[in-house]
Amino acid sequence: MITTLFLGALLLAQDFTPPRTPDGKPDMQGYWNNQAGTAPWDIEPHPASFQVPAGPGIIVDPPDKKIPYTAAALAKRNDVRDNHAFDDPQAHCAPSGVPRQTYTPFGFQFVQPPGYFVILYEAEHVHRVVRMDGSPHMPASMKFWSGDSVGHWEGDTLVVDSANFNGGTWLDMAGNYTSENLHVIEKYTLTDKDTIRYEATIEDPSLYTRPWTMQFNLRRNSQKDYYILEFACHEGERDLQHYTEDTGKK
Amino acid sequence: MKRFLVLAAAAHLFGAMAMAQSYTPPRTSDGKPDLQGIWQVLNTANWDLQPHSGSYNVPAGPGVVEGDQIPYLPSALAKKQENLKNRATADPLTKCFMAGVPRTMYLPYPFQILQTPQAVVVVSEYVHSWRYVPLYNLPHIDGYEAWMGDSRGRWDGNTLVVETIGLNDETWFDNAGDYHSDALKVTERFTRTAADVIDYEATIDDSKVFSRPWKIKMQLHRRTDLTRVLENECYLNAEAARRGGNSK
Repeated sequence: MITTLFLGALLLAQDFTPPRTPDGKPDMQGYWNNQAGTAPWDIEPHPASFQVPAGPGIIVDPPDKKIPYTAAALAKRNDVRDNHAFDDPQAHCAPSGVPRQTYTPFGFQFVQPPGYFVILYEAEHVHRVVRMDGSPHMPASMKFWSGDSVGHWEGDTLVVDSANFNGGTWLDMAGNYTSENLHVIEKYTLTDKDTIRYEATIEDPSLYTRPWTMQFNLRRNSQKDYYILEFACHEGERDLQHYTEDTGKK
Repeated sequence: MKRFLVLAAAAHLFGAMAMAQSYTPPRTSDGKPDLQGIWQVLNTANWDLQPHSGSYNVPAGPGVVEGDQIPYLPSALAKKQENLKNRATADPLTKCFMAGVPRTMYLPYPFQILQTPQAVVVVSEYVHSWRYVPLYNLPHIDGYEAWMGDSRGRWDGNTLVVETIGLNDETWFDNAGDYHSDALKVTERFTRTAADVIDYEATIDDSKVFSRPWKIKMQLHRRTDLTRVLENECYLNAEAARRGGNSK
């Protein structure tokens, strides 16, 4: 029975042949929203709390669905979560970074010009231009909120390798912070014409005892004549002083 | 003598035409002129579109306005003068706000143009803003207003024409306080005239502020030293500087 189901799933997956761009790559262009549930609040399994809906988390490895922190890094995460929630870079209109940008409550668009895979995000109007030409990452001394992303195709899966992070981004609103050693490998696979399986494996030996992986689906927004409207976070921000040390509140 | 001048002028004109015609831009896979790459202006339009002398933190420049003068309505000029007086703090860029259209194209920061058969994308270093320019028929959303406006593009021979409406009235054209209303319509023309040069024009139409449409012209130059657009997170850098640290 299990074997049959497994075979059936394999056949289904193989049945789908993605549409192609002129250069023969899977065509993922269009508008997408995540199906990451409550991940914007907390990517680990969590019960409901004040203004936070309960959720099963999006971590698929390790099996306990928790971030495999070192003891010291876990203590810091708990302190950040409990005492410094207002330092969340999203509250300062900072770019959400990788992979958090993929599970904000906002949509995004994929554009595939030759040589690049471009992602235009609604949240904080961030863009990522993934170089697909085999070029290396930028020199290590160059740090970016959104990292430096290079990609390649493994069969019909887009693999994006991101490094050069500045250590300023968080992974959610539950204090899961990052360091400059963050290294993210994302995989995007069309499983039917309107669904992409998204997977991100996260490495950082300075914070984690082992690499770990999150997974969820992206769903195509096929609303007629839809396009991404501008989210002017900083320009619209009239409350920034409440989030800064200038007023003594962290 | 007169005949010589006419001949010289004709020869000059012919030479310019021949030069312009001698360059054929490379094509994308769908046969359109390829404007892709990382570009930046080499001028002082960001500080003042009109001819201006140098001043504190402002490099001098010959201006980019056709006919030199911006044709303000008499009633609109006072606000420009007020903006100019307060430029050090009133320029939206001093607050790290998005630059709007067309100013985003002549900031002292690079941007990248990317193309597909359906769209042109412009991604900027300054505050990571982007413009998505559909080349297909996509209805505007009634009443939609944005810092970067709502653009639609089309090809006119070898020229990309981009029309932008839906701009709010909060951006300036330059650091000299040249401003507009929310009735602004901008028509940009991009023509690649050499391997590393795009001729750029923008026609400004805003009958609430100007007596007639007016035009700016300049060149975009390829940044051959860059493999990607970098980040300038202006407001985060400002926030960090206030705290005495770097940007995070």
